[in-house]
Amino acid sequence: MQKRSVANLVLFAALCLLAAVFLIPLVIVLINSFKSSLYISGAPFELPNAETFNGLNNYINGLTTSGFFAAFLRSVFITVVSVILIVVGTAMTAWYIVRVKSRFNKALYYIFVFSMIVPFQMVMYTMTYIVNKVNFDNVFGITLVYLGFGAGLSVFMLSGFIKSIPLEIEEAATIDGCNPLQSFFMVVLPILKPTAITVAILNAMWIWNDYLLPYLVLGTDEKTIPVAIQIAMQGAYGATDYGGLMAMLVLAIIPIIIFYASCQKYIIKGVVAGAVKG
Amino acid sequence: MKNLKKALSLIFALSLALTVFSGCNRSSGEESVGKVRYLNFKPESADIYKEIAKEYEKETGVKVIVETAANNAYESTLAAKMATDEAPTLFQINGPKGYANWKDYCADLSDTKLYEHLTDKSLAVEVDGKVFGIPYVVEGYGIIYNEALTDKYFALPNKAVDFDSMDDVNSFAELKAVVEDMQKNREALGIDGVFAATSLKTGEDWRWQTHLANLPLYYEFEKNKVDLTSDKTGEIGFDYADNFKNIFDLYINNSTVDRKTLGTKTVVDSMAEFALEKCVMVQNGNWAWSQISDVSGNKVKAENLEFLPIYIGADGEEKQGLCIGTENFYAINSKASEEDQKAAEDFIYWLYSSSTGKKFVTEDLGFIAPFDTFNDNEEPQDPLAQEVLDWMDEDGIKTVPWNFTIFPSQTFKEGFGSSLLKYAQGTKEWSAVKSDMVDSWKKESQSSTK
Amino acid sequence: MNTSLKKYFPIFVLPTLLAFILAFILPFVIGVGLSFTEFTTVENASFNGVQNYIRAFTTDTDFLRSLGFTAAFTIVSVVTVNVFAFMLSLALTRSIRGTNLFRSVFFMPNLIGGIVLGYIWNLLINGVLSAFGVDITFKTEYGFWGLVILTNWQLIGYMMVIYIAGLQNIPTSLLEAASIDGASSFKTLMKIKIPMVMPSITICTFLTLTNSFKMFDQNLALTAGAPEKTTEMLALNIYNTFYGRVGWQGVGQAKAVVFFVIVAIIAFFQLRLTGSREVEH
Repeated sequence: MQKRSVANLVLFAALCLLAAVFLIPLVIVLINSFKSSLYISGAPFELPNAETFNGLNNYINGLTTSGFFAAFLRSVFITVVSVILIVVGTAMTAWYIVRVKSRFNKALYYIFVFSMIVPFQMVMYTMTYIVNKVNFDNVFGITLVYLGFGAGLSVFMLSGFIKSIPLEIEEAATIDGCNPLQSFFMVVLPILKPTAITVAILNAMWIWNDYLLPYLVLGTDEKTIPVAIQIAMQGAYGATDYGGLMAMLVLAIIPIIIFYASCQKYIIKGVVAGAVKG
Repeated sequence: MKNLKKALSLIFALSLALTVFSGCNRSSGEESVGKVRYLNFKPESADIYKEIAKEYEKETGVKVIVETAANNAYESTLAAKMATDEAPTLFQINGPKGYANWKDYCADLSDTKLYEHLTDKSLAVEVDGKVFGIPYVVEGYGIIYNEALTDKYFALPNKAVDFDSMDDVNSFAELKAVVEDMQKNREALGIDGVFAATSLKTGEDWRWQTHLANLPLYYEFEKNKVDLTSDKTGEIGFDYADNFKNIFDLYINNSTVDRKTLGTKTVVDSMAEFALEKCVMVQNGNWAWSQISDVSGNKVKAENLEFLPIYIGADGEEKQGLCIGTENFYAINSKASEEDQKAAEDFIYWLYSSSTGKKFVTEDLGFIAPFDTFNDNEEPQDPLAQEVLDWMDEDGIKTVPWNFTIFPSQTFKEGFGSSLLKYAQGTKEWSAVKSDMVDSWKKESQSSTK
Repeated sequence: MNTSLKKYFPIFVLPTLLAFILAFILPFVIGVGLSFTEFTTVENASFNGVQNYIRAFTTDTDFLRSLGFTAAFTIVSVVTVNVFAFMLSLALTRSIRGTNLFRSVFFMPNLIGGIVLGYIWNLLINGVLSAFGVDITFKTEYGFWGLVILTNWQLIGYMMVIYIAGLQNIPTSLLEAASIDGASSFKTLMKIKIPMVMPSITICTFLTLTNSFKMFDQNLALTAGAPEKTTEMLALNIYNTFYGRVGWQGVGQAKAVVFFVIVAIIAFFQLRLTGSREVEH
């Protein structure tokens, strides 16, 4: 027993060290966000001193010039609306194609599953073209693009779960006089909740962090957070402001940490469930 | 019941979102007055164009939408935008190569008012008697130096050269002697190095892979008497590669920073070093004035800014001037509606002929405009543009044209740029840089003409 | 039930289906078609047979090189990520103080997006290398290992969580029986733990495989292909072919089709493997 607790203590120390290694990158970004631009790329590991300390200027200058706040709001809007559309839309679709047996629905299911393995590069050029032609290249339209693009995985996961729901529950609802819409929202959707949460989390993480799709669809006038960061870094307007970039990175990470801290249990579960199914 | 309420409100929210969305379709198609959609090439002028657009709309009621491409990304941005409903109606091509890429989209401009006023018609992009690109700015580049610092150097008691001012320097050998001795005395001069960092970060390397490369190719085409409009330009020998190496070595070995770190340096870094007097010289063009004057803590006085031609050690270079030309030609999208094409035409004419427009051109954009609508007192007043004009008027000096408009492709330039970076870092032999450049030129020339 | 629901197709399926057609089915079908044409703006496409595919592999030597780089990177990432993640999961399934906290910390980088991750590591790696007077563009190897480190940082926590779930599913009776029989902990690991978490290993391997193989954002932000495009991975190479070169869009589309086929083959193997295991259980 003695030997084991010593081993555990060593292991504990090692894990502490490793945890520090995992956190240090974020701490360094945070520290550098308070240093002035000239002292960041050359000496990222130095703490700010009287000469290099820049107060909140990076946050003020960097963010106002890059339109970061607008980008932030845009990202929130797109993520929230898309996730709602995806969860509701694909749950309805999945329920329908599981419950209404037909050749067409079966084929549709396989096309949805097929779409999961197609890399984005395969469709990016033509998708951008089509989306522009139907005037979906705005913050509203892009949520529908996400619905279409996120449909594969979501339909797949939800159908898997729906197949395990006993039919009797729904039949009881029908007997009670519910039309399919009522049965869906009052009976099926509540049962689907755990999988729906998983679907919501997976899609939220993907959409919040997505760079290429919003860049291609919305362009550089309607930036989301990842696009704003990439554009700022390219120095598209003449100057690469490292200080502002650090501030942006910090502000891009903070919502993720808050989100993570508040529903960590669901996130880890959801990601594992998503991984096992996908 | 509670669930039903929830469900209904969700559906309601959803349908609301859909209505909002569908109400957002663009409804501009019916307007009879055209509007201008301009894809701007110069990131440094993005804000000025926005102001011009505002002013133009105030005066005429015609809307001008300005979009700006990132450094080195004009062609790709244009390719992406052309496929959209928001295709630019006014864009630019960089000369004959650009025209070849975009010929399906270039309208004939020979009847436009702006072309009428072009001082030197030979500057335009002309094919079979039709004009597809009108140059809108003449620019010059060379080695910008800070005379306050060079004078300080020439006053040093222990200087190793026998010149007394930069005016005596008119060949590579002389430049090299001055630069290397100056580098030795950098502490006495209070500088980090003679040349600003040679920015070789991806997207920031155009001063070398395009502008500097112009000189050896200019001498090569001169020597071989190559007709630049013929397809004889499909292959080159890079005969003056060693001369290119001369000047490039001089830049990277006598610089503010170690040559191995150049992969992180940007143009802004270089210009900031110059403005803060951490260095004496920087290769750039007259467009860089704002990038010097806008640096906070700028120490360089306008009257101390001078241009030196880029000497590479070629025969007869004593008579060589700055590299002056243009890679900026207006083109109007022939696939745009009649109204929009007309609107674009009117807009550029206004910009270069009305008093408001001309004021923007000379004072804010700082352009040397090649049109007879400008008289002599309507020249840009910034010191670098003045210098370019002075060099143009200098007797017996031969200006170097911008031959890089016939460089085969952006891919070629990027390849050469990253090759130069590896050479600077010491991981690529010069002979490989040279042979790769020659190969890539040939390959890219073939693939773009097919 | 069946019949009454059937009429509701326009409400239940149509909206999602339309979005799906627009965002996926049409682009996919047109994309395959366009790979056999030459075009700059879709509308001016003209048929040119398999010319694009030939050009993708012959005129453009970068494509094969980036395929090689991507493959090498993927193999190294799969091995390192899974070995580290599995070791961590073993450590965290021993009853140690703060297990949950450790798990949270290790998992967190996974939530941060590729662009942000790329720039964080760009700063760190260049900071370290600047001590030697160089930066990440100096050598292909620097970019390669930079990407490997980044990928490890991002994915270890994720895979670890899946392994932990696998390890926790091993019936305790089995482990107790082993310890009664006096099996060493190494033997328990080899004979019980690893065989029992085989499904997790398969899942994690394929997740790392596809994640590494399709990597784009991290590649763009960390190296953008420098030096001389030698750290350009497939997805970035395809992107640059589409948007970096006028007149090469057809070749870009052809490369994308090739990319898709490779990914599809990987997915097919995954399906075969996981499928056969499910039958075994």
